[in-house]
Amino acid sequence: MKSKSINIPYILWIGIFIVVPLILVLLFAFTDSSGNFTIENIINVGNYASVFVRSIWLGLIATVICVILGYPMAYALSKIAPNMQEFMIVLLMLPMWMNFLLRTYAWMTILENNGLLNRLLMFIGIGQVNLINTSGAVVLGMVYNFLPYMILPIYTIISRIDNRIIEAAQDLGASRRKVFSKIILPLSIPGVISGITMVFVPAVSTFIISKMLGGGANILIGDLIEMQFLGSSYNPNLGSAISLVLMILIMICMGIMNQFDHEDNSMGGMII
Amino acid sequence: MADNKIIVLKDISVSFDSEVILNNLNLYIKDGEFVTFLGPSGCGKTTTLRIIGGFVTPDKGDVLFNTKKINNLPPHKREVNTIFQKYALFPHLNVYENVAFGMRVQKKGENEIRNTVHEMLKMVNLSGYENRNVNSLSGGQQQRIAIARALANRPKVLLLDEPLGALDLKLRKDMQVELKNIQQKTGITFIFVTHDQEEALSMSDTVVVMDKGEIQQVGTPLDIYNEPKNAFVADFIGESNILDGIMHENYLVEFAGKKFDCLDCGFGKMEPVDVVIRPEDIEVVEPEKGHICGLVTSVTFKGVHYEIIVDVNGFKWMIQSTEVQNPGDKIGMILQPDDIHIMKKSKYSGAFGDYSAFSDEMYEEQHNKPITEEE
Repeated sequence: MKSKSINIPYILWIGIFIVVPLILVLLFAFTDSSGNFTIENIINVGNYASVFVRSIWLGLIATVICVILGYPMAYALSKIAPNMQEFMIVLLMLPMWMNFLLRTYAWMTILENNGLLNRLLMFIGIGQVNLINTSGAVVLGMVYNFLPYMILPIYTIISRIDNRIIEAAQDLGASRRKVFSKIILPLSIPGVISGITMVFVPAVSTFIISKMLGGGANILIGDLIEMQFLGSSYNPNLGSAISLVLMILIMICMGIMNQFDHEDNSMGGMII
Repeated sequence: MADNKIIVLKDISVSFDSEVILNNLNLYIKDGEFVTFLGPSGCGKTTTLRIIGGFVTPDKGDVLFNTKKINNLPPHKREVNTIFQKYALFPHLNVYENVAFGMRVQKKGENEIRNTVHEMLKMVNLSGYENRNVNSLSGGQQQRIAIARALANRPKVLLLDEPLGALDLKLRKDMQVELKNIQQKTGITFIFVTHDQEEALSMSDTVVVMDKGEIQQVGTPLDIYNEPKNAFVADFIGESNILDGIMHENYLVEFAGKKFDCLDCGFGKMEPVDVVIRPEDIEVVEPEKGHICGLVTSVTFKGVHYEIIVDVNGFKWMIQSTEVQNPGDKIGMILQPDDIHIMKKSKYSGAFGDYSAFSDEMYEEQHNKPITEEE
């Protein structure tokens, strides 16, 4: 009885801010500007297939780079002295206290044709390199902004591994390398999975990063959706349809990921 | 017999953050023995075990394994295996792969692994559990897997760090018997750590009693119980009444205001000593027939016997007897020469053996509980 009344505000919250907007997206996606039912919007999404492919591809690259950079960092972090760990975590979080836009602007000034990096390159005699407005710059922006979301879940799960399990593995004859490959790595997979989710989803749907660092040539889905609502090509119905398709695509991706996770848990013994 | 020492600890000292954990410890363990390190928490028993396992490096002293110094040998290169407190099974591996782990890292052949895993699981009565998830097993079953996993490596020495601590009493008793059987069957040296004196006495060939980072006594369970070296050992192993006494001459001791014949000799003339009398050795008689008489202050039913606290001139004795007494009654006690055990004075003298505090607890307990167990 009591627990039910406690739930009410949350249910209201979910209803007003999650369920109703989702229904609106659905409604807009399947109607035209005068409110009649149509599937034309969904069909039109197909015209932007290349944008979808680019978004997912760049998001994927950024995610892979985040895993490659983030995992060793998270592992190293979990192995240093506990009081140092706290300090390092604060350092890691520090940029996140700053506005997202500001951070991306900062990268803009660094990567610009006469920005910091190019001036340095010219100074040491390499000459100007076109850095800004490339897909590489977009990936860099994604990695920079989302890396902490990869490190934190992996760090959390590694630091929670019971030290006795590691000692048991050593005791049974496992060297440091074997302890890592047979115990720590498989046990940290769930952290990697949630890190991937937390990096991949925002990376695929980002629009600020691509707009500022990618220029006009690197439009992503996020930019496309933004344009339908705020930009010159005002069309909220198409925008909703694109959002819907993106949501479904991400859901499928996550479904595939979770499948991996489950397999790892039950089939863990088979990884040799 | 004397030269089959598999492990020798020489002058071992360890401190963590300037706190002394082990102080100049010397010990050897014979091949094929069931040795128990017994002591209260913080006595250094687990640290000693971890030194043998390779998880703690001593600040001072040497660890010898088959006469080879292994001070700096990492755990994975030692021919010992450990059963950890709470088992520490690998949660991402099933039963089969848990047991196979040690052989896998040593790159043993698939056939050998399969045969050994089946053999080990059979030994711990868990055949058919190969594909089970270890998280779905009960505490007792996890315990058995931990044993199978450690023994699958065919260690020379098995270290057991309070392995039965998490089990309930009944299961614990069963596992005690089972562990002892496994030890006898395999002939592997077992080094067992516990704070449970009953467990130590019933399982071991040799008991090492420790306190405050020092070994108090090493001996067979019978020696430890019947011939405790000091008041700490006497108090820690079972219940005991420990009194101040004076050794008048060989075989004659005075305590509680009376002189008694005893079986001990070799003390100085009029040397102050500690006298130990086990509560189950005291015979209760009519007041006028006893060597000593006193007032019953509390009686507690313990199942097999009654625990009777008797006040003799302010010193509270404990008696364990199958006959009930009534609080407030005067009773007599008879002490035979072989009931009396004499110990040299030590730093533990005077710290144990009087049940005054104990009987106060009893008193409170009885008055807080609505149901008293008095008849």
